[in-house]
Amino acid sequence: MIRSARIILFIAVSLICCSVVSGIERFPPPDFEESDHKLPTIDSITDVTARGMAYEYLDVAVLLIALSVSSYLVLKKRSRRAIFSLMIFSLVYFGFYRKGCICPIGAIQNLVLSIFDSNYVIPITAVAFFVLPLVFTLFFGRTFCAAVCPLGAIQDIVLMRAVSVPKWLESSLRLFAYLYLASAVLFAATGSAFIICRYDPFISFFRITGHLDILILGACFLVVGMFIGRPYCRFLCPYSIILRQFSRLSKFKATITPDECIKCRLCEDACPFGAIDTPTVEWPAASYRRSKRVLGLLIAALPILVVAGAWAGSAVSSSWSRANVTVRLAERIYQENQGMATETTDASNAFRATGQSTRELYDQADAIRNKFDYGARLLGAFIGLIAGLKLIRPSIRKKRTDFEANRAGCVSCGRCYEFCPREHVRLEKLKGKI
Amino acid sequence: MMTESNDSKRIALYEAVKMTAFIAGLFSLIVVGVLVVSFLEVKLIEPIRTEKLELLKIKLLDEPGNEQMLSDIRQLDLKIRNERVGRNSFSRSGYLLLLAGIAVFLISVKSAMVLKKSLPHPEVGGDQQAAQIRSSKLARFATVIVMVVLAACVFYFAAKKKVDFAQAVASYPSAEEIAKNWPSFRGPSGSGVSAYTNIPEKWDGKTSEGVSWKSPVDLPGHNSPIVWGDKIFVIGADRNKRRVYCFDAFTGELLWSRDVEVSPAKKFEAEEDTGYAAPTAATDGKRICAIFPAGDIVCFDFEGNQLWRKDLGLPDSMYGYSSSLAVYQNLFIVQYDHGYVDDNKSMMIALDSFSGQIVWQTKRPVSSSWTSPIVADVNGMSQLITCGDPWVIAYDPANGRQLWRADCLGTDVAPSPIYAGGFIFAIQPYGEMFAIKPDGSGDVTNTHIAWKANDSGPDICSPVSDGEFIFALQTQGDLTCYKVSDGTKLWEKDLETSLTASPSIVGDRLYLLSEKGVMFIADIAGEYKQVGKNEMGEKCYATPAFVDGRIYIRTTKNLYCIGKSN
Repeated sequence: MIRSARIILFIAVSLICCSVVSGIERFPPPDFEESDHKLPTIDSITDVTARGMAYEYLDVAVLLIALSVSSYLVLKKRSRRAIFSLMIFSLVYFGFYRKGCICPIGAIQNLVLSIFDSNYVIPITAVAFFVLPLVFTLFFGRTFCAAVCPLGAIQDIVLMRAVSVPKWLESSLRLFAYLYLASAVLFAATGSAFIICRYDPFISFFRITGHLDILILGACFLVVGMFIGRPYCRFLCPYSIILRQFSRLSKFKATITPDECIKCRLCEDACPFGAIDTPTVEWPAASYRRSKRVLGLLIAALPILVVAGAWAGSAVSSSWSRANVTVRLAERIYQENQGMATETTDASNAFRATGQSTRELYDQADAIRNKFDYGARLLGAFIGLIAGLKLIRPSIRKKRTDFEANRAGCVSCGRCYEFCPREHVRLEKLKGKI
Repeated sequence: MMTESNDSKRIALYEAVKMTAFIAGLFSLIVVGVLVVSFLEVKLIEPIRTEKLELLKIKLLDEPGNEQMLSDIRQLDLKIRNERVGRNSFSRSGYLLLLAGIAVFLISVKSAMVLKKSLPHPEVGGDQQAAQIRSSKLARFATVIVMVVLAACVFYFAAKKKVDFAQAVASYPSAEEIAKNWPSFRGPSGSGVSAYTNIPEKWDGKTSEGVSWKSPVDLPGHNSPIVWGDKIFVIGADRNKRRVYCFDAFTGELLWSRDVEVSPAKKFEAEEDTGYAAPTAATDGKRICAIFPAGDIVCFDFEGNQLWRKDLGLPDSMYGYSSSLAVYQNLFIVQYDHGYVDDNKSMMIALDSFSGQIVWQTKRPVSSSWTSPIVADVNGMSQLITCGDPWVIAYDPANGRQLWRADCLGTDVAPSPIYAGGFIFAIQPYGEMFAIKPDGSGDVTNTHIAWKANDSGPDICSPVSDGEFIFALQTQGDLTCYKVSDGTKLWEKDLETSLTASPSIVGDRLYLLSEKGVMFIADIAGEYKQVGKNEMGEKCYATPAFVDGRIYIRTTKNLYCIGKSN
């Protein structure tokens, strides 16, 4: 009874708070007629300075420090609590304070554009944001994902009760991440769009504003993320594809046990991201023979998949080229001139007011389409190759005797440390109790 | 005891954080609900108000002096802006509250999870071998499924129709298409020279001999007919009405006529000689554009649908505005000369034929004029040639950039220029005719005037030339022939009648239409030699149009087609 009364009382207070807030915001609205409000002069507009370059360099410095601290916490200190704290700091600084931009994930596009467009000069800070996490990953594993990436952080903190995603499913779904990366490179290379930024699901939360569709997308990711750990990171993040490859080569990386694995199996279900590899067992000889035959067939089929992918890329290139503003404009002008569209748009009106000939516009659009076609063929071939390798991968046996953190998939979050008895021994030693 | 005490504290703490999580979650849901309601309010109410505002603004265009309406618009606009700003602030505050609620919720849930954490219990038994074999099979199967999904996406995107720009029809006619038609005043390039030589030389308007058809045009106008394909257009207007007519070029059937709205503020008394529909329309093969002396310019498609309309403002023109339109690619070009030089009002304006957008406009240092601009192909490049007081100016028609100019004209310039025999010809009424070399740059007054004829030049009619001879016709009937190369006067002829329609050339024939409706046809080789004289039976002021085997003559009451019907 008392509990119900408390709940009702709290709801009432909530509603009052909300209505008061709304009342405050409705009173007073700006009153341009009665107040002495003056329209801003040119001087006052130019007095508002943009964020200086010094702050951009500061962000790089903070990134460098955060990566260093994260690597230390993951590899030396091995403290989940400390990693979590650093993660909160990164979420606040790189997410809410810097509003999610610039980030290493989006910097892929800046780099690609600078390679393909000689008129675009990439800021050194964007290069730093792209390169620094890769360098740290090459040496220390995915410590960037552990406690520095704001997108990973926001997903990590909403994780409640993790549902295990089977490894076979996770591997196949990761094909979308490869596709996303290749598409982002294609669109950036053709100067069409920065799709990673456009479809960043969490940007609306960081900026407290944004398109409704992106807000809903972000909310969906967070709701899913409550039960499936880091869904964006595992199945979509284009930067993670690059990090995974670098992480495979890293000399130092997060390990479950601080020294040796005693195969106690206590860490088996410790990872909410399915990044713990269990020891393998011997298969029957018949299974090995069958597996070898399948492997042979798949290797033979690999070139076919690559060619099929290239064809598929070419087939979609025309549709995808519409992401480019010049192609869209040319198609709109074409439709209007041919009588297929009865009304004009702001863009078509603005174009007509320039006096530029439509033939010139069509030629420009055709040139961009040709670039798209070439790029899409490469994209398709790449996806075909990756799909083929994913088909081949299960046939390749890797012997494993211990429980290990997956070299590519482990995000170094440190959740598994406390599950390992050897870790507890290490901590007791540190405290001097052993 | 200690352990039991710790356990009970743990349980109590767990219950507390669980309750906090529940309340924080509920609070967050309530805030979300309030934000959603606010969002829906914006979505439902604001479009209605915004639409109301737009309707008021459209109404204001018709009643520009309505102060009450203006005040209503301002108040409604301010109200919408105030509400919008208020809602944005409200949303922001709500979001911050939501953020706080979610933060408390997450912290509580995490704390509860930590407090409720249990020891790991790995499963005992199970066939690991079978599980790993099954997993590898499922991995391939899942990859295949993903590939099938991607393939379906490929087919979806591939099915979308691709626009083939190579098939695009040009948005403006080619030079060949223009040459086959009569798209503006005095035909292609404003030369008055027919591209066809199979033009009739004998007819009688009173008996209808040689007349293919005759259709009434109920509103008067001195503008010339223009022809494109199977359509012919004329403009008619009086003090209260303005109308665009479209006739079938072969049958004379009136296909459509459209009235152009006259704003009460723009009604004026026109000079009798000029009338309310002096400027000739122009067409780019898909659209027909007409300009009226009050400054209204309107464009229709060939089916009579109004595409756009523009108001250039009432021109300050002594005798009434009468410059016809020129066409260049997808531009309709207006020579908007009015006021005095010092007023700085005169300008050239180029409008996009599709949308009516101003593509370029260039001020020009001239007074009012009554000439029409021409677009000429000069050594492979297009030049927009204009006459005014005191300059003959050539522009690049694509962008309005001035190419060259010559100071040689005076007041009341009415004859339009022509390009023939490598020269631009411009006439000062009652004064000289100038032949200007068009390959100069900047002020070419002292360098590029090849010759000038000092006879009293025509006051209204524009000259015509076949490249070897040039003919100047005065209103009172004096026709003079000069040599194009050096301006040598070859002969003179007094036709003893009044003519305001400009002369035209068909092959080696000169066609001269008098105000009384008599068409004089003369041989232009050597001395003047009349080879035909045909009567319309009605007064004529407009210059005729010449297309394949036909002449279109607009009298004061009718539109005639002379020649074969198809």
